[in-house]
Amino acid sequence: MTTLMEVKNLVVRFYTQEGTVYAVNDVSYTLKEGETLGVVGESGSGKSVHVLAIMGLIPSPPGKIESGEVIFRGRDLMKLSKNEMRLIRGSEIAMIFQDPMTSLNPVLTIGRQITEALELHIGMNRSQARNRAMELLDMVGIPDPKRRLDDYPHQFSGGQRQRIMIAMALSCNPQLLIADEPTTALDVTVQAEIIELVRRLGRELGMAMIWITHDLGVVAGLADVIQVMYAGTIVERGPVDVVFKDPRHAYTLGLLNSLPRLDKQHGSKRLEPIPGSPPDMREFPDRDPFAPRNPYATERCWQERPALRPVEDSSPDHYVAAWYDLREVRKQNEEAV
Amino acid sequence: MTAPAVDNTTKNANGKDAILQVRNLKKYFPITSGIIFQRQVDAVKAVDGVSFEVLRGETLGLVGESGCGKSTTGRTILQLYKPTAGEVIFEGKDLTKLPSAEMRKMRRDIQMIFQDPYASLNPRMNVGRIVSEPLIVHNVGSDKERQERVAYLLEKVGLNPYFVNRYPHEFSGGQRQRIGIARALALDPSFIVCDEPISALDVSIQAQVVNLLQDLQKELGLTYLFIAHDLSMIRHICNRVAVMYMGRIMETAPTDELYENPLHPYTQLLLSAVPIPDPEIERVRQRMERPSVLADFRDKNNILELKEQKPGHFVAEIVGRVQG
Repeated sequence: MTTLMEVKNLVVRFYTQEGTVYAVNDVSYTLKEGETLGVVGESGSGKSVHVLAIMGLIPSPPGKIESGEVIFRGRDLMKLSKNEMRLIRGSEIAMIFQDPMTSLNPVLTIGRQITEALELHIGMNRSQARNRAMELLDMVGIPDPKRRLDDYPHQFSGGQRQRIMIAMALSCNPQLLIADEPTTALDVTVQAEIIELVRRLGRELGMAMIWITHDLGVVAGLADVIQVMYAGTIVERGPVDVVFKDPRHAYTLGLLNSLPRLDKQHGSKRLEPIPGSPPDMREFPDRDPFAPRNPYATERCWQERPALRPVEDSSPDHYVAAWYDLREVRKQNEEAV
Repeated sequence: MTAPAVDNTTKNANGKDAILQVRNLKKYFPITSGIIFQRQVDAVKAVDGVSFEVLRGETLGLVGESGCGKSTTGRTILQLYKPTAGEVIFEGKDLTKLPSAEMRKMRRDIQMIFQDPYASLNPRMNVGRIVSEPLIVHNVGSDKERQERVAYLLEKVGLNPYFVNRYPHEFSGGQRQRIGIARALALDPSFIVCDEPISALDVSIQAQVVNLLQDLQKELGLTYLFIAHDLSMIRHICNRVAVMYMGRIMETAPTDELYENPLHPYTQLLLSAVPIPDPEIERVRQRMERPSVLADFRDKNNILELKEQKPGHFVAEIVGRVQG
């Protein structure tokens, strides 16, 4: 598979009254064509901010992209003008957000909102665009699409609104769909339907996806590659099967151990929480940000920030940012006990 | 005047010790029309005939999707909402009929932990004041005794007693939830309604709070009604589970029985939708389609009854229709 997008050394900061927030600290990765990347992290991990930066949607001030390149199909998005970027957004790269109600215009009919993009980006006329909008609503499973085109956003349920957002996102056949916690506000049964829909459409259209979530279960079912973020950096990345079975960063392992599971009996095991509190993003990132919460932290973790590097004895696509060898230190720990 | 006693003991029909019995509880919210002369045109039947009991020392999970009435049930049990109908029998007394002075006394035994640790703590009170407020309201102890009690409680929930003079904004979400728990424990209650106590917290913090709640339960002999939508967490923490849908209970059973042998189509749908953090399992899982029979359970004109299919495992069945 060929590379669709390459992010290089992305650094984003926010200059606020309470101090500088180091939101994204030197993030680099590549996304292949047709690949689904699951980005996992907690609040403040930089998972959402880094994609907003890619899309040119960081409010400035207070935000500032300090450095970095985002090469998308041969062009550096960071160097494009506002107008050039606007043409890419919605046509080549589309985005869906957590709350579909705030992303839809409440005073325009659904039909008008979909046809607007089709007329702007693809140059369809009114009736062509209306027919295409009907097809799109049908594709995302809205019943009776011809009649529903003339309805307003408030006349749809939360799940249906997210389906409409997906229809709008897919209207111009993007090569990349970025989904920022699109199912977090939805009920679990609706979430399952939306994930199934996006997975099917992604496969049919050969579209790459970046799916941002805090839910490891969603990533397990949806993604090809998982990328775990903490305090504005990528701490681990690799094929989903490899990372879930053989995590090499203490944070990834901690997350997996702290989760209750639907398929584990009641009372079978006490949860193993990650100790401590989430990081203060105002701290300058000059050490391993997870060190204060890491039972395996070494001297070096406190002094120097580890870079993302390949894991030696694992899949060639498995990367970790750690000064310790997690397998080694866990073995030593077990022997000590 | 004392409240009309319902039972002399708190034993239920099976001889088990039930701390709380909820019988046919209803909470309707009126929908009104008109500007000056408002009249009721309809009602939202948020809780529509819910019955269950909570045994002493156990955790009962109340689970369902948004709008199913699980939080309204919790609040109506605590009499934060006045029930439209039904009985809430706590330690043998029907709370719905209790005179307000008696209800005030009763509140010491029944406490609540809220979902949003940002909204449920007064930002202008320091931690010491927040945690000691229930003691002040109920006139418990001297100033010095209260101070000691606050220090004890903060330690109990894993916070440094040195924090008493700090304000809520100085704490993280997980720490704030600990403050909320300390406040709930101040009056030494026997029963706590936990309304989505962890869903606003980061994943890495949720396990800390859950372990704390479990440790406190064991140590202090607490009984929990645990309201949540996270079915994985419910399985981990609860002894028994009741599944709610559209204001009514669809199924209730001991936890593992419910998860391994769900009998109601709605429970089956819910369980099939929850993702499991394991790619190998997810790849082969089949998701269930929304069963058409759910429309019948949504229909408020259908009368439902919980029928015992196996010992302790009750499933809602449609037994008739409301006439007219």
